[in-house]
Amino acid sequence: MRRLLQFTTAIGALALSAQLALAGPAVVSGPGADPACFAPWSADTKYMQWEAKPGPYKIAIVNGFVGNTWRIQMIKTAKAFAEDPAIKDKIKEFKVVSTGTDAPAQLGAIEDFINQGFDAIVTIAVSPDGFDRVIRLADKNNVVIVPFDNVLDTDAVMQVNEDQLAMGRTWAEFVLKELKAQGKTSGKVLEVRGLPGNSVDRDRSIGINDTLKASGGNWEVVQVVGNWDDGTAQKVTADAIAVHGKFDAILAQGGTTGVVQAMIDAKHPMVPIAGESENGFRKLVAKHSGEGLKGISIGQSPGLVAIAMKAAVAALEGQVMPQLISVPLPVATYDQLKDGENFWSDLPDNFFTVNEFPPCGVNVSGPAIMSKSEEDVK
Amino acid sequence: MHQPAWKRWLQQNLGFASALLLLAAIYLLYNMLHPRGFSSAVAVQNANETAAIAFVAMAQTIPVLAGGLDLSVGAVMTLTSCIASVLVNGSPAEIVFGMIATLLSGTAFGLANGLIVVYGRIQPIIATLATGAIAIGLALLVRPKPGGDVDGDLGWALTNSVWDFADTYGLADGGDAWWLRPFADIPVPLIIVLLVTALVWVPFRRSVTGRTVYAIGSAEGAAFMSGLPIARAKIAAFTLGGFFAACGGLYLAIQTSSGNADLQQAGAYTLNSIAAVVLGGTSLLGGVGGAVASLVGAAILRVISFYFRILDIDPLLQPLIEGLVLLVAVSFGAIRTLRVKNKLDLFR
Repeated sequence: MRRLLQFTTAIGALALSAQLALAGPAVVSGPGADPACFAPWSADTKYMQWEAKPGPYKIAIVNGFVGNTWRIQMIKTAKAFAEDPAIKDKIKEFKVVSTGTDAPAQLGAIEDFINQGFDAIVTIAVSPDGFDRVIRLADKNNVVIVPFDNVLDTDAVMQVNEDQLAMGRTWAEFVLKELKAQGKTSGKVLEVRGLPGNSVDRDRSIGINDTLKASGGNWEVVQVVGNWDDGTAQKVTADAIAVHGKFDAILAQGGTTGVVQAMIDAKHPMVPIAGESENGFRKLVAKHSGEGLKGISIGQSPGLVAIAMKAAVAALEGQVMPQLISVPLPVATYDQLKDGENFWSDLPDNFFTVNEFPPCGVNVSGPAIMSKSEEDVK
Repeated sequence: MHQPAWKRWLQQNLGFASALLLLAAIYLLYNMLHPRGFSSAVAVQNANETAAIAFVAMAQTIPVLAGGLDLSVGAVMTLTSCIASVLVNGSPAEIVFGMIATLLSGTAFGLANGLIVVYGRIQPIIATLATGAIAIGLALLVRPKPGGDVDGDLGWALTNSVWDFADTYGLADGGDAWWLRPFADIPVPLIIVLLVTALVWVPFRRSVTGRTVYAIGSAEGAAFMSGLPIARAKIAAFTLGGFFAACGGLYLAIQTSSGNADLQQAGAYTLNSIAAVVLGGTSLLGGVGGAVASLVGAAILRVISFYFRILDIDPLLQPLIEGLVLLVAVSFGAIRTLRVKNKLDLFR
């Protein structure tokens, strides 16, 4: 047994010294591959290139927390996308694990997949820090780690996310435009914020408030905390309406179905609204837009996982990739909503509608994901 | 009625023995199924993942032996990891000072727990629920945002095999000395956990205070009537719990080279520590079991989740399966109820 261990270490040490020479990605100059899909975050974003490996590849998804609709939908999307003809032939083995909010378990799972010889590991980090060790190991073994959604505070790995600041700005710009059409250039707006202390909440709020300020109008912003949750958002919106009476517009970071429900319950007039991509929100906007509920819906899509998988495969094929990939914001305004296309009246309210990214060739539609789950139950 | 010693030990430690057997079986199978099973890399990874929860499980065990639950262990681990993320860097002397300060802060927190339980006369479960919240609050003060800068070499050396440890610090000819050979492949975290157990838990268990902890859990009234130092033992139990939790926190900080005042993670560790204690065969009523048993329990808990990475199991079914396996594993410990001769035995 001991001899076996020694033998494997000897081989391991040999392999290690051999691999040290080609450790990790090289920093190269852009532009990268497929810039319509893999858009660099900013002009300063550096580019990375891994040594090309022959396919097909072994890819693992290491999720953290599981148990809200978004995460469950994300996992279903990943499974559906792995079966997509665009990528199916490039994947030899595909595994998904959820480790809970436990940093050692997530780090351990990533390290285990590196040990098992996986080629790429896609992950939602439970903490923005603490991945130094696994990044070092991944670089030694030429494994591509792709954090998305909750990304890391490092520029040593390739990451995928949506620009939350831009999302906040787009929301505010739309609302300002709708208000201007009504002839309003000042007034009182309600901002329903997300989970406190979170960088996503912070960036979206900065985007909203900077744009409102820059408009020059005299906007009074009432902030309430809705935790991105329908129930909480509905309650705090009802409270805010009870206290302030009437708002000229509402900007909600999440839990938007609950926000609109609170407006309806309080008989609040239908005003321009900006919100997330919940199916329920889009259903309500489609129904009430004629009465003045002119809405914009932008989402942090669970489909990001598909872009991250696609990026991982591209990196393994040796293509030049931006270190931080900015996925285009999936935007739908009230005049673009179409039942069965970008919302589904027969799917549940808490379903996240945005899953398709045409520039990336990612076309996993809502019903496709829902049917995937039915197959699993059988 | 003479019995061989091993038979007697087995009868007295049935829960622990079955847990040990279970661990050996599932870990062996895991290594056989793993494409790189029985290698140092896999052992190092497994040990790394298990170290923090093993320490926290040991921290939970000692109050449980005295018949109480400590709901603050996960929070104390989080607090100490945040403290370590601030202190454990700089010159070697500063690093050592930071490590000692981290361990002391956790121990002091455990001492405070013990004092509140004994002199405040508050039920441990309620007292530690409150102090756990305090610990998270302090952790957020120390580290409002995740981050930190724990010494990178230390992190690399302590989360790898003995060879890497020696290689990092240039000891024993960079790890190639002949006398280091037999130990070169052993994961450092495993050595740390075993060393702390041998140096802290074993002497404590043999001391009068340690035996009093067991006596309190078995029958507090009888222990009191026998003149055992009950107050001292209870305080010692919580203090030692704080120390072990701090060991877990320190390791976590070194492993992640950062601190994160994560409330959910603290809660998960507290719950998992209770599960590990029960899995190891320690009775939640107190008086039976030990910290070594909880080490085994923590390892079982982890190995179960290792399987999800090598087997093809639907990701959304994994929590369900993990729960079912846990339930079955815990039931092993209850096997003794099938063979009691007198129903009154069950009330023990």
